[in-house]
Amino acid sequence: MAQESKARKRNGKGKSLPIGLGFIGHFCDANASVADVNNGRLVRIRPLHFDWKYRPEEFKPWKMEVRGTLFQPLLKSLIPPFSLAYKKRVYSPNRILYPLRRVDWDPNGERNTGNRGSSRYVRISWDEALELVVAEIKRVIKSYGPYAILSQSDGHGETKTVHGPHGCARRLLNLLGGYTLQTRNPDSWEGWYWGAKHVWGMEPVGQQAASLEGDGDNIIPDIARNTELLLFWGCDPETTPWGFDGQMASRVCYWFTELGIKSIYISPDLNYGAAVHADKWIPIKPNTDAALQLGIAYVWITEDSYDKEYVATHTYGFEKFKEYVMGEEDGIPKTPEWAAGKTGVPEMTITALAREWSSKRTTIVHGNGGPGVRGAYATEFGRLEVLLLAMQGLGKPGVHQLKMIEWGIFEKGTTNPMPVGVRNPNVIPAFRGGMFSSDVSKVKQFIPKCLIHEAILNAPISWYGTTLLDAPVENQFIKYTYPAEGCSEVHMIWTDTPCWITCWNDSNSYIKALRSPKIEFILAQHPWLENDCLFADIILPVNTKFEQEDISVDPMGGQFCTVLRQKKCIEPIGESKSDYEIVCLIAEKLGLLDEYTSGKTIEEWIRFGFETSQIQDMVAYEKLEKNGYWVVPTDPEWQKRKPRLTNFYEDPERYPLKTPSGKIEFYAQNLARYFPDDKERPPVPHWIEKGESHDERLSSKRAEQYPLLIMSNHGRWRVHANHDDITWTREISTCKVRGPDGYLYEPLWINPSDAAARNVEDGDIVKVFNERGAVLGGARVTERIMPGVVYMDHGARYDPIVPGELDRGGAINTITPHNTTSKNATGMAVSGFLVEVEGVNLYELRKKYPQAFQREYNPSAGLRFRAWVK
Amino acid sequence: MARYGMVIDVTKCSGCYNCTLACKDEHCGQEYPGYAAAQPVTGQFWIRLVEKERGRYPKVKVAYTAVPCMQCREATCIKMAENGAVYRRPDGIVIIDPVKAKGQKQLVSSCPYRVIYWNEEKNLPQKCTFCAHLLDQGWKEPRCVELCPAGALTFGDLDDPESEASKLVASGKTEVLHPEYDLRENVAYVGVPKKFIAGTVAYGDTDECAGDVAIILSGPGANAKTTTDNFGDFEFEGLPDNTAFAVQIEAKGYRVRRLRAKTQSDVYLGVIKLAKITESTRIGKPG
Repeated sequence: MAQESKARKRNGKGKSLPIGLGFIGHFCDANASVADVNNGRLVRIRPLHFDWKYRPEEFKPWKMEVRGTLFQPLLKSLIPPFSLAYKKRVYSPNRILYPLRRVDWDPNGERNTGNRGSSRYVRISWDEALELVVAEIKRVIKSYGPYAILSQSDGHGETKTVHGPHGCARRLLNLLGGYTLQTRNPDSWEGWYWGAKHVWGMEPVGQQAASLEGDGDNIIPDIARNTELLLFWGCDPETTPWGFDGQMASRVCYWFTELGIKSIYISPDLNYGAAVHADKWIPIKPNTDAALQLGIAYVWITEDSYDKEYVATHTYGFEKFKEYVMGEEDGIPKTPEWAAGKTGVPEMTITALAREWSSKRTTIVHGNGGPGVRGAYATEFGRLEVLLLAMQGLGKPGVHQLKMIEWGIFEKGTTNPMPVGVRNPNVIPAFRGGMFSSDVSKVKQFIPKCLIHEAILNAPISWYGTTLLDAPVENQFIKYTYPAEGCSEVHMIWTDTPCWITCWNDSNSYIKALRSPKIEFILAQHPWLENDCLFADIILPVNTKFEQEDISVDPMGGQFCTVLRQKKCIEPIGESKSDYEIVCLIAEKLGLLDEYTSGKTIEEWIRFGFETSQIQDMVAYEKLEKNGYWVVPTDPEWQKRKPRLTNFYEDPERYPLKTPSGKIEFYAQNLARYFPDDKERPPVPHWIEKGESHDERLSSKRAEQYPLLIMSNHGRWRVHANHDDITWTREISTCKVRGPDGYLYEPLWINPSDAAARNVEDGDIVKVFNERGAVLGGARVTERIMPGVVYMDHGARYDPIVPGELDRGGAINTITPHNTTSKNATGMAVSGFLVEVEGVNLYELRKKYPQAFQREYNPSAGLRFRAWVK
Repeated sequence: MARYGMVIDVTKCSGCYNCTLACKDEHCGQEYPGYAAAQPVTGQFWIRLVEKERGRYPKVKVAYTAVPCMQCREATCIKMAENGAVYRRPDGIVIIDPVKAKGQKQLVSSCPYRVIYWNEEKNLPQKCTFCAHLLDQGWKEPRCVELCPAGALTFGDLDDPESEASKLVASGKTEVLHPEYDLRENVAYVGVPKKFIAGTVAYGDTDECAGDVAIILSGPGANAKTTTDNFGDFEFEGLPDNTAFAVQIEAKGYRVRRLRAKTQSDVYLGVIKLAKITESTRIGKPG
């Protein structure tokens, strides 16, 4: 690289600027990269070579020598495809170039709220936009009080610090007297957060590897040395880690295979990890994992092949669990035959898996998301997993719950299964957005993200828990209501995260809420004209991080932690501004600018971030600024870190878990105490065939009309709703399916037998539907999906044919279940539900809905900005 | 002078498409005079990833084979080019001159690997340059290689015995993708997908997976033996195409099963149930 920069200097052109391209959206960055810029244009995006400005001796690469192999970090970051191809996102023809007003929204007359999602937009000036916004904020507060404004400001996307992409508005709204907060759900963790936490604590989210007490510290080298079998349970290490950590997970999987550790993938689909790493694929019907787990427990109990001593000394309530498994409670022994009927996994495979597991040191691997943990009653799956691990001596060397994502999350240094640095820097104090439990204590009224539609359409409502991901388990026993005492209902939404439709539960119902006359004003700020933006009344253009100065930390790549002092690479596109700058403009109009900024300039905030980063004494700011990045040296003592769970394994009395008994609870005492009558999440985890919240099994009467189970995961070629317009990924056959009309449809995986039964061929355009609505997709007829199951990634860009009913883009969340995980578990259930699939006649559809089909569209990037703008 | 080449290890490819995307990031809409005109925004894949679904449910895997220009020493494109529009640099890289090659559509079909693309707008054939414009600036490797997270692409001087690429070739593990073309390619492969024969064995009397059962494969030029794992699964990987094999399954106390399989595609024989030898079968009655 030194040679190259010399060459560049000789040619007298271009700059190479470090930048983080992670998509967590807040707190910590990822995917440290380098942008090559020339003549004000982004030329290329490259990995960051850690040794570009520093010698390896300075940052001290770690080494793992195990079973005759050597595993060590590369000297470059392992960025994923959408970080690499992000140039297409920056220059997307879908960028919002200037402020927009919905054509038929008149704040002084008819607001036409029912036209949201159908009406187009006109360009307005920044001055006009700011005046309209400020007038609406004042009017709403005057009419209803400050709590009538809902701040929707949370989600995954570009990670910025000072320019805080999520929640900049909240600090201003606080200055105006408060607001209603949309709280962040522990999404992709539902089963662990609402289930496993009651079994083993593992604050804050119920996962070993993310435990703040270090239960998962250094478990990857431990697994490498001791584990014989890995169960990738609904886990795709080649998909979900990409936006958050890059591709180190992939390297670790290859290494595990090299070490001779067997990898079994349990999932309805042969996911991308299984496609290249699996020694065996065990297909399972979506959201039936709990039945498989119970079948395995039955084998162990009847064959006496579990660790009885561990169960006696480390767990609580096993007898009640055993009674349930053996059928003493309900007359149904949970035999492999019974489990086979529910799961579609052959009885002999269930028995063999149980025997294989009990005879080998086994670790379960996750990647967040996936088919198992995001469905109805996912609590039971999350809890049973811990119980099965406990029956095989959880915490002993080689027996863990690993996850291949978010290594080092929460920036506390205690959540990393990989080697760590000498420090755990963060720049959170400079973050101008944010979402912490402490935020909730400051607001009088909040609504969980998965209940927004319920709150707007069916208030008053109540639920349990703030749902904030860092809330302790006790919080799940507190009941909250909306509207809160003394607070108004919501009449205005201010969103900087307009992706509810693509990412949350039953979003067709959410669309009804957005079109309600009760919601008088919707303000959206976003870089791209997509998804929920189409329901806003005023849209403000945000720029990408290439267009701003900032500072961030990339702690999760699994190789090194880097601190990035990111320079402005290119000038803002169109009239776009950062989220922070936009809120500053609004604050200024309200006469609150100084209070809002605390009198600091952006440069001063960046500097403040550095000064509070915990590495301020290790590197000079001037050096960081000049080089653009700094690599935290590996902790020379990293090998001494031991997983806390191993302490529990060795001495459970001295190192208790955070449960009432201090042990792993087969019978969850807290659930028994607080929810004694809950049949959907009883103290001992159960198989829930159906309940008052959900009826999504093949045994349902609904299955006569909707006989397929659909699974949905986080997208291979997206991070949630991000990146769906990247031209080059859209050319990949697993990313989009080209229809006869030239439109690129979202793929729907379907097994050849199910396709044949419906006269569907590969490449056909199909309708995926249930009583909640329909989306179009392009059939991918493939052996990679189980018969009776179809699969569609979530997050495809919404392109309504009939808003709230029929979508062309393939936003599958429009038809996911409405209710929460279960009655008292306030998560969302967005995978494993009933649908039917049929071929569609595009020509008839086009005739019926000419307006929707005539929107300006280009297959290379999808819908154009002009599709919605007059 | 160097002879630049690449070794592509299919067994290490996770299918992330970073190679294809890096190439597009470098070449789409960006021209490098003397080396290459700009690649169109869509439609060309100077390093194409061929994605092959192998086997049938539930024994399925995916092989990803990256296919760039092979930088052949007997390049047909050079032979088919008029007025020297395609030439080999002293370092072995084959370049389509973006000016001289204008209008020479015959070059697209000259390449049996189909890695020359036609740019309709520019009336120009185009292909991978190994990012020669970057190598000439001092880069050590093309963009696709730099972006590969798995180390599946190794770039180097094949005439330098110390280069990693040379060492891989010298290891004897590599082959060219299509030896039958006889083009003396400078791109070699490890683990080119062949065919597998796999199956799952179960005991017919107990309906349990039959582990540790001997499986014998025989066929022209390939005799192999394996045992089933605890799920009753067995697999013979890396078999030649279009070849007839016999698979013999032997478990003590059970009748021997013989099956035939032809590797027109990857073969999954499904669940094979073994019949227990009983008194009646022992005396020769039909089992």
